[in-house]
Amino acid sequence: MFLHQNVAFFALLFMSAYIFVSGDVVNLTASDLIDKSGLVRTSSSAAAAVVNSPVLKPAPDLLFSLNLLSNFPEDLEISEYCNELLHIFGQRYVTYVNCLVPAARPVKVCQNCFSSFESLNDTYENISSNDVGPGNVSCRDSLLRSDRLMLVFLLFNNLKDIWTKSNCDSCIIKVPHFNLTSDTLYFLATLNRTLSCFEKYQQGNRTELCTNCKTAYKGLNDLYSGMEKNQTLCIDIEDAMNMTRRLWSKNFNCSSPREETVAVIAVSSFMLFLPIIFYLSSFLHSEQKKRKLIHPKRAKSYTSLMNIQDKMS
Amino acid sequence: MANITKKVSWSSRTDESGAAGEGTPLLNGSEQPRLSRQDSLRGRPKEIPHNEKLLSLKYESLDYDNIENQLFLEEERRMSHMGFRCLEISRWVVCGLIGFLTGLIACFIDIVVEQLAGIKYQVVKENIERFTEFGGLSISLILWAVLNSTFVMVGAIIVAFFEPIAAGSGIPQIKCYLNGVKIPRVVRLKTLVVKVCGVICSVVGGLAVGKEGPMIHSGAVVAAGVSQGRSTSLKRDFKIFEYFRRDTEKRDFVSAGAAAGVSAAFGAPVGGVLFSLEEGASFWNQMLTWRIFFASMISTFTLNFFLSIYHKNPGDLSNPGLINFGRFESESMAYNLYEIPLFIAMGALGGLLGALFNFLNYWLTIFRIRYIHRPCLQVMEAMLVAAVTATVSFTMIYFSNDCQPLGPEHTEEYPLQLFCADGEYNSMATAFFNTPERSVRSLFHNPAGTYNPLTLGLFTLTYFFLACWTYGLAVSAGVFIPSLLIGAAWGRLCGILLASITANGSIWADPGKYALIGAGAQLGGIVRMTLSLTVILVEATGNVTYGLPIMLVLMTAKIVGDYFEEGLYDIHIKLQSVPFLHWEAPATSHWLTAREVMSSPVTCLNRIEKVGTIVDILSNTSTNHNGFPVVVQITGSDEPAKLCGLILRSQLIVLLKHKVFVELARSRLTQRKLQLKDFRDAYPRFPPIQSIHVSQDERECMMDLTEFMNATPYTVPQDTSLPRVFKLFRALGLRHLVVVDDENRVIGLVTRKDLARYHLGKHGLEELQLAQT
Repeated sequence: MFLHQNVAFFALLFMSAYIFVSGDVVNLTASDLIDKSGLVRTSSSAAAAVVNSPVLKPAPDLLFSLNLLSNFPEDLEISEYCNELLHIFGQRYVTYVNCLVPAARPVKVCQNCFSSFESLNDTYENISSNDVGPGNVSCRDSLLRSDRLMLVFLLFNNLKDIWTKSNCDSCIIKVPHFNLTSDTLYFLATLNRTLSCFEKYQQGNRTELCTNCKTAYKGLNDLYSGMEKNQTLCIDIEDAMNMTRRLWSKNFNCSSPREETVAVIAVSSFMLFLPIIFYLSSFLHSEQKKRKLIHPKRAKSYTSLMNIQDKMS
Repeated sequence: MANITKKVSWSSRTDESGAAGEGTPLLNGSEQPRLSRQDSLRGRPKEIPHNEKLLSLKYESLDYDNIENQLFLEEERRMSHMGFRCLEISRWVVCGLIGFLTGLIACFIDIVVEQLAGIKYQVVKENIERFTEFGGLSISLILWAVLNSTFVMVGAIIVAFFEPIAAGSGIPQIKCYLNGVKIPRVVRLKTLVVKVCGVICSVVGGLAVGKEGPMIHSGAVVAAGVSQGRSTSLKRDFKIFEYFRRDTEKRDFVSAGAAAGVSAAFGAPVGGVLFSLEEGASFWNQMLTWRIFFASMISTFTLNFFLSIYHKNPGDLSNPGLINFGRFESESMAYNLYEIPLFIAMGALGGLLGALFNFLNYWLTIFRIRYIHRPCLQVMEAMLVAAVTATVSFTMIYFSNDCQPLGPEHTEEYPLQLFCADGEYNSMATAFFNTPERSVRSLFHNPAGTYNPLTLGLFTLTYFFLACWTYGLAVSAGVFIPSLLIGAAWGRLCGILLASITANGSIWADPGKYALIGAGAQLGGIVRMTLSLTVILVEATGNVTYGLPIMLVLMTAKIVGDYFEEGLYDIHIKLQSVPFLHWEAPATSHWLTAREVMSSPVTCLNRIEKVGTIVDILSNTSTNHNGFPVVVQITGSDEPAKLCGLILRSQLIVLLKHKVFVELARSRLTQRKLQLKDFRDAYPRFPPIQSIHVSQDERECMMDLTEFMNATPYTVPQDTSLPRVFKLFRALGLRHLVVVDDENRVIGLVTRKDLARYHLGKHGLEELQLAQT
C-alpha cells in the first residue's frame, strides 16, 4: 500500500518535471512537423504483440488509422534506438511469460525460466540505465517516465514481483554464468531419487514403501531442513518438498502413528493423581492453622455482632 | 467523672482476674450486658481457623501525617529557600532514577526469561521430535514435567523459605501499602531480588503465570529503595536524599514506582499513572501526578532503549513493553455499531467467568492458608502444579488432531509436528508449548483459520483451571497474562462461531478482534480494574480505535462480576487480614459514634515522664501500642490530665537510645541537641525496645517529651459518627485519632484497625475480629 503510494508520488514528481521541460521544447520547435508514421507503426505492432489476444484483433487497424492522424513532432517522439529497445523488451517479456505459465503447477518457475528472466532483466536495465545510446538519447525518460501509466515500468515490476516472491535468487548462481546453484541441483537429484523410489513401490504394499523409501525420504527431508536454515530455498524447492511431504504423509500415510497412547495415559494419570494425594494428605495430616483472637479494649459493649444487630433492630 | 481513666483501667483489670464488677456505671450503659458478653466469649474457643473475617495484628499504619514537633519547625526555619528548590529538584531526580532502574529490571527479566525459556523449549522440542519417530513419548512428557518442576522448585524455595511476602503478583501488597498499611518487608531489597528471580523461575517453569504483576511490585521496591538513598540490607548509606526518609515521602515515591512498573510491563505510561491513581495513592496532587508520569515515561523508554540494543537495532525506541500485543492491522480493526451489543454480551460473560475464577481461587486460598502453611509443603505444591501443567499440556497436544500448515513467515516459535503430516504443525502446541505471552500474541494476530474451535474450547477450559489453581502458590507470578490468555481464547472462539453462523460473517467477525475483546472482558472480570485497564489495553495494542469497546466491555465485566464476587486482589487483601480502608465508610454506619469505635482506655504518658514507666509500657508485649497521647497534669491540683500532644513509639525509642533524659542534660551541658536527622537515620527499621539497655539508675530519670511530641494531634469529640472519622482517616492519612471529651481529656484512641473492622456483609454491618497471625 505504502509502496504503491510512494511510486505514484514519485511518478507525479517526474511527470511534472517532464512536462515542465518538454513545454520548453515545444515552444522552441513547434513548427517542426515531420511525419513519422513508419515509426509509429512499428511501435503499435509491438504493442499488439504484447497484447496478443484474439479478442483484440480488430483493434490494431483502428489504432493504426487513428495513429496516422495523430503524430507528434519528431522531438517529442521516441528515438529509433529506444524503439528498438522497446521492441526487444516486448519480445523477451512474451518469452518469459510464456515460460512462466506452464511452470505454474508444479512450480518450476525458477529452474525453467531463469534464463528468460535474465534476458528480460538485461533489456530493462538497458532501458533504465543512464547511459546514452547512439544519437545521444537516453531511453529512460522517454520510455519509463513520460506518462502517468508508466506501462513499461509497471509491466516489468509485475514480473519482478513474481521473481522476488518466488525467491528464485537463492537458487540461481550468477557467476560465472547464470545457472542453478549446486545445492539446488543436488536437491533436485535427491528428490528424483526419492520419487523414483516411491514409484517403484507404489504398486505394492504401502508399509513396504514406508520402510524402503524411508532413508531416501529422510535424506531429502534433512537436506531440506538444512537448506531452510541456510535460507537457500526458492519456491521450486519448497513446492517440490511440500508435494513430496504430502505424498508421504497423506497419500502413503507414512507419518509416525500414535502408538504409545497407553503409556502416555498411564504417566499422565499418575501425574494427575499426585496432587490429589498431596491435598488429601495435607488435609488429613497437617494441623489446621488457628488464629488466636485478641479482644480489643473497648469502652463499651457494642462490639459484638449480636449487639450491633440489637441496636439496629 | 473525676477519674474516669482510673475506673476504666480498674474494670479492665477485673476482666482479667475474672472477678465480677460491682455494677459501677461506666461512661455509658451498664456493666450487665458487658459481663454476659464476656461469658459468651469465654465459652467460645480463643482459637479459630483462618477466615476472611479477621484483622491481623501484624499490620500497622504508615505515618503519613506530618509530625509537627518543635524539631521539625526548627529545621524548616533553618532551611533556606534554595534548600526547598533543591528538594524539589531531587524529587524529580529520584523519579527519573526510579523509572530508569525499573526499566532496567524489566529488561533483565524479559531477556533472561526469553533465553531460558528458549533453551527449555528447544530441549523439549528436540526430545519430542526424537521420540515421535522411535517411540517413548512418555519420556518426553516426564522430561518436560521434570524441567518445569525444577525451575519452579527453585522459584518456590526462594519465595517460601527466604521471603514469603514476594509470593503472588505483589499488586495486593502494593495496593495495601499505598492505602497506608505498612506491610512488613514488602519494600526491601531482598524482596526485590527474590521477586525478580522468582518470577523468572515461574515463567520459565511453564506455569500459567505472567511477569507483569511482579514488575509493579519491583517498581515499588525500587522506588522505596532509591528514594531513601541507602540500603539497610547492604549496610550502605549514600548520604543522599536524607530528607525523604519518612513515610510521607516514601509512599509518594512508591506510587511513582508502581506506575513505572506498570508502564514497563505493558509499555503503557499513561496506564501506569492511572493505575497508581485508581489502585493506590489516596493522596493525590497535580505535581505528584506529573512526577509519576515522568517516572513512567522514563521507565518505558529505558526498557525500549535497552531492548533495542538487545534486538540489535540500537536507538529504536518504538519497541514497547514487556508484553507486546503487536499491532492490529488497519483492515481487521474496523468495528461497527451492531457489534457493540455483542461486545457487551462478551463483557458480561467475562464478568461471570471472572467471578467463577475468583470464587474458586478464594476457596483454594483459604485451604492453602489453613493447611498448606509450611514452607516445604508450599514448595511441593508449586512443583506439583508445574508438573501437572506440563502433563496436561502434553496430553492436550498429544491427543489433538488439529494440524495447520506452517506459515510462510514462521510466526510459531517452536512448532511441534508430532503426529501431523510433514510440513504441518500441531495447533494445540502453539497455545500450550509456548510462553503464555507469546500465546496471547498468536491468539490476537494469527489469521483466521489458524485454530479450530475444538482446540480453543479445550484450551480455554484447561487453562482456566490451571491459572486458577496456580494463582496463590508460593511463587512470584502475576495473573494478568493468564487472564488475558483465557479471555483471548474464548474471545477468539466467539469470533469464529460468529463468523460461522452468519453467512457472510467472515467480513466483519475477525477472530483477532474478538480475541482482544474477550481478553479485556476476562481480565476485567478477574481484577475489576476499569479506567487503568482500559488505558493499559489501549496503549499495549497501540490502538485508540478500540477504546470504546474495551471500555464498555470492562464496565460490563465489572458490574456483572461485582454482583457475584469481589475482585481477586480484594479477596486476597481480605484473606491476608489486612486492615484496608476502602474509599468510603460502610453504608448504614452513621449511628456508630467515635465512642463505640475507639479503643479505650488509652495508655497515656505525662509530658515529663519517668524513663522506667516508658520502658515498661514499650516492653509490654501484650499491648503493642504505637502512639501515645501525651497529657499534662497540673501538679498539685486535682484536675484531670489534659491532652497536649501525641508521641510515637519510634520517637520514644530514638529518645531512649540517645538517652535524652532531663538529668543528663543538666549534668552535661555540652550534650548535642537531638535533631530530626537522628530520627531519620533510624528510619525505617527502628530497633526493638529489647535491644535498648536502660540501667536501673537511668530508670529513675525523667524524660521531657515537649520538644518531640506532635503538639497538635487531630482530635474528635466522642459523638463524631463513624463516617466522619473515616473520612478524616482516609483523607489525611491518619494513624492515630484521639477522642477527647469536652474538657480535652483523652477518653479513647481510634486507629486504622478500629475503623477497618466494620464492613458491610450479607447480613448488614459486620465486625471483623482481631487476631494474632
